[in-house]
Amino acid sequence: MQGKGPPRSLWERLGEIDYRWLYALSLVLMVIPILRPFGLPTVVSEPTKGYYKAIVDLPPGSVVAVSFGSSLALLDEQEAQFIATWKVYFQHDLKVIFYCTYADSMIILNEELDKIVKPESYGKAYGVDYVRLPYAPLGESGEAAFATNIRGVYPTDIYGTPLDEIPMMKDINDHRGIDLIHFQYTSCTDVEFVIRQWVVPYGKKAIITTLGCCGPMAAPYYPTQIKGFLSGSGMGTELEVLSGNPGPGAVMSDAKNLGILGLLLFLLLGNISYIGKKFGGKG
Amino acid sequence: MSFARRELPTIILTACGVLMLLAFFTPFEAFTTIKGTLTSWTIVVAATSTWLGFAYMSYAQYRMYQRNPTRIQLIYFITPFAFFSLFLIVGISFPGNVSSPQYLWLLSSIYQQVGATIYAVMFFTLASSAYRTFTVASIESIALLLGGVIYTLRQIPLFPVFAPWLVPVGEWILLVPNVGGGRGAVICAAMAALVVGIRTLWGKEMTMVEA
Repeated sequence: MQGKGPPRSLWERLGEIDYRWLYALSLVLMVIPILRPFGLPTVVSEPTKGYYKAIVDLPPGSVVAVSFGSSLALLDEQEAQFIATWKVYFQHDLKVIFYCTYADSMIILNEELDKIVKPESYGKAYGVDYVRLPYAPLGESGEAAFATNIRGVYPTDIYGTPLDEIPMMKDINDHRGIDLIHFQYTSCTDVEFVIRQWVVPYGKKAIITTLGCCGPMAAPYYPTQIKGFLSGSGMGTELEVLSGNPGPGAVMSDAKNLGILGLLLFLLLGNISYIGKKFGGKG
Repeated sequence: MSFARRELPTIILTACGVLMLLAFFTPFEAFTTIKGTLTSWTIVVAATSTWLGFAYMSYAQYRMYQRNPTRIQLIYFITPFAFFSLFLIVGISFPGNVSSPQYLWLLSSIYQQVGATIYAVMFFTLASSAYRTFTVASIESIALLLGGVIYTLRQIPLFPVFAPWLVPVGEWILLVPNVGGGRGAVICAAMAALVVGIRTLWGKEMTMVEA
């Protein structure tokens, strides 16, 4: 219960706003762009350009290994990234090996690939142009194992077909058959898995996709160890724009526009209160 | 301490570490094959640890209920097992296993929504904590605040529309000071890891073997 102490200054009151008001304001700010998207222009950043260039510079028929570790709970951050990326792969006649490293990722892969990307609509056939390998809890040592002996980790594809019976996989069993590694992850420090197990020992070209908050941890490796990266739905939108494959990224970025504005407003209020209490007298 | 608890794990660790180093630093195919086999084993161990996790969770839940034998704690105790059983039974009972429509329904209607909600709630706690604690009390916090705010503003399409200068400044922060600091931190961590690695190979790193 509020006591009858001395009257509080403006600065003190500004620093003690009931945070449930802040929650409510955040909610409203996030909902507005979902109901009425802004459709704002997108500026493509350098890491996204590098990412796209690393893919489109590959000669047709090159093999891309997609280490797919996406999470259902974080789908909004990454869905735009991998849908646009996979479309680019098939548009540029690349062969793709998808392998799942997280429990949710096989389900996401099946849903997104079959219902949204639809490789068959690009004239691609399963087993000839792309392969799906099931879930295995790889981690860093698993990435090392995959790069050394694919059949040792995945003897069969998701349908239980032995890899030796899949035309595309006949001559591929380790890093020597891979031209580009696309590492997709949700834990910021995992970026080093691909560098330690693919880039340094075998000199493979690598690109990565991750969450918005993980971008700054990926940046130190760009453009030497990783040729490009996408972090968060914002950079997913950039790839959609750059590759001409519109998708879910624009809506997600819009929703975050005003949501972040609320966060910045709270930062501002908290600091005005702090500075006011320190230097502004009673206010 | 017994041989089995101290020397044996150290010998295994050292042997594995040396074999990995030989695979990295020598051109012999045999070491590469050994590396492949050993790293494949770790995947099997990781898969097995699911059940170890289940055992730990069961024990922890049981201990919590023992300490606080109330009805609400009983509900907390039962809930994880109920959902574990539900997902396990549905996952192995229908044709297609984890790709069956029934399992996919459970995932999209329960698991995905709960997971997304947890992350969404984090936004609110983040906003609240930013308001209460992210104050410009020192030079370091001012630098962190400015860098963070400019980079965040650059990432959101709304702001570069009104302030185009945010694009080059945001990218400069990401690709110059962030890269400089980040690489320094990575090198420091790598040096520390090197020391721990050498100590482990030498059998001096007791944290790896002692309980």
